Amino acid sequence: MEEKIKQVMASVFEIPVESIHEMSSADNIENWDSLHHMNLVVALEEEFKVSFDDEQISNLLNYQLIKLTLTELITA
Amino acid sequence: MQNSTQNSNKLQELKYTEILTANKLLGEKLAQQAQQEIVVLSNIITSQFNHIVEYVLRKQRLNAKVDSGDYDNIVQDSEKYANKNAVIIFWELANLVDGLQYKAESMSAEHISALINKTKQEIDFVFQNLASTPIVILNQFSTLVFNQYFLKNNQFDTIAIELNKYVSENLPKNFIIVPMDKVFAQISVNKSIDLRYYYSSKALYNIDFYKQYAAFIAPIIFSVHGKTKKALIFDCDNTLWKGIVGEDGIAGISLSTQNKNGTVFEEVHYLANQLSKEGIIVGLCSKNNDNDVLEVFEKRKDFALQEANILIKKINWQDKVSNLQAIAEELNIGIDSLVFVDDSSFEINHVNQSLPEVKTIQVPSALHNYPTLLRENLSLFYKHNQTNEDKKRVEMYKQEAVRKDEQQKYSTIEDYLYALELEISVSMNDFNSLERAAQLTQKTNQFNLTTKRYTQTDLHNLIDNQNYQLYTFGVKDKFGDYGLTGMALINISDENAEIDTFLMSCRVLGRNIETAFLSFIINDLQQINIKHIFANYFKTLKNSQVLSFYEKLNFEVIKEEADSKEYKFKTIDFSYCPIDYIKIQLL
Repeated sequence: MEEKIKQVMASVFEIPVESIHEMSSADNIENWDSLHHMNLVVALEEEFKVSFDDEQISNLLNYQLIKLTLTELITA
Repeated sequence: MQNSTQNSNKLQELKYTEILTANKLLGEKLAQQAQQEIVVLSNIITSQFNHIVEYVLRKQRLNAKVDSGDYDNIVQDSEKYANKNAVIIFWELANLVDGLQYKAESMSAEHISALINKTKQEIDFVFQNLASTPIVILNQFSTLVFNQYFLKNNQFDTIAIELNKYVSENLPKNFIIVPMDKVFAQISVNKSIDLRYYYSSKALYNIDFYKQYAAFIAPIIFSVHGKTKKALIFDCDNTLWKGIVGEDGIAGISLSTQNKNGTVFEEVHYLANQLSKEGIIVGLCSKNNDNDVLEVFEKRKDFALQEANILIKKINWQDKVSNLQAIAEELNIGIDSLVFVDDSSFEINHVNQSLPEVKTIQVPSALHNYPTLLRENLSLFYKHNQTNEDKKRVEMYKQEAVRKDEQQKYSTIEDYLYALELEISVSMNDFNSLERAAQLTQKTNQFNLTTKRYTQTDLHNLIDNQNYQLYTFGVKDKFGDYGLTGMALINISDENAEIDTFLMSCRVLGRNIETAFLSFIINDLQQINIKHIFANYFKTLKNSQVLSFYEKLNFEVIKEEADSKEYKFKTIDFSYCPIDYIKIQLL
């Protein structure tokens, strides 16, 4: 799952996959604005076949939270 | 439907991230080509659309770059982005004012009409601001997302109806309306939207919608960039009729409503007849005895496909790849202009492998899907403007066949050219010819020195506001009229002239018409005291035949690079000597 998340982030933010790490967040990825955030959400939903609710969407602001939210959704 | 929706399915199956990755690679691959800048103006958020439409266009080797204007700033942005190659407008009815989909019903009649009038004014501004943009794609206002459940129209519908009427009555020529309901119909309204993002972020449509929409409008953009298909070539047995004529006999094949399983074929024949009327070349490529197929046309009175509409026939026992190549060559069109229909997997695979540029369509084994499959692919032939030349094309190709017969009667080509009684009529800055001239720039790939694509509006601007002269010419001979077949666009500044565009339709090749035309122009420029003429050759995949065209007229090469040449010509060295078998005159 971790590799997949990184790949999604890389293609949405148009950055190399190697540059994404545990601490990646909206604060240190330049392209991560509100429009790209929406693209990220759509891409993650499609990739992991899940659907986030409004609160989850606003929480997905860094790599770790994305991983956590997805784990919850998938194992739930 | 196994074969049906071949194209669209591929796109529909791709994930958003896969599209992003593929799009990036295509972008790098096409980096050498001229970039087509497209901007999306909208009063809703459409951020995922840009890369998706980019991908669809780049997939057909069009180097598109798609950006968005500011959110909800359509009118101001229409001024700012008028110089782009194309503009796509998402003007969402529900967001004309915030929450219009639920507020409209409570509004007073005055309020509604004030809102309609204000929007009409904004539409007027957009029409004016984008009047010279080559192509503007504007979505029809639709209430379907919110009103699909209601039997009766409400005030929200009233606004949509009124605005759509206004748009269609005042639509400028370079604008194209997208019937949104047809896009929705392909995947359903509910599968086109994501209301979560509508209420939180004003984004209404989802990825699936954008894919469908991008594929739907792409032919409009392709058609102004010379990427439209030109010919539809059919196999015969089990493609134009059910059965094998060589085995089942003329009477044994099914091809009309009068025979079992014949109706779908009759529908295909009508589609083909109609395409031929619109100027698309319809041809046959079949492994058969020539006579058997000709007899079907002759003897089967219930065969709806008219032989007169078939421009080219390759009925023999050679392989289809060679036959398709021969067809492209004889018609003087690129191999990538062909669409080929056959029932056999073997033939389809062979063509796909050897000629990947040819679009193939395999007759589905569930025959009832066959006409639909063809209809789905008709957008490959989409033309933004239909010109008179399109409608006469079939006639002209037929005259060409007679000419070729005639050619064999004369011992030298010169004798033959004399006998043709060629006449060229040149016009200068003729506004009535702009539509056809623009079409020539968009469609001509082979005899085209610079391959610059222009729209009617572009040409209008150049000759109206800037110092450009547009020469267009028509050709006639004793067999008929070829119509407007070539043009040159010259940029004049003081004593210098630059040939911006010089092109000619391939159907008049081999008659020295290009030489006559260029000499005529040089002579004309000499008369208005032009001292130097500059010209360029820009190499493309298709125009190698004009690599040394200017050299033949003694233009001097002043700069040469791998894919371009620059020329200079001193008019002082020139004395006009017309070619004696071509009559050329200025109208």
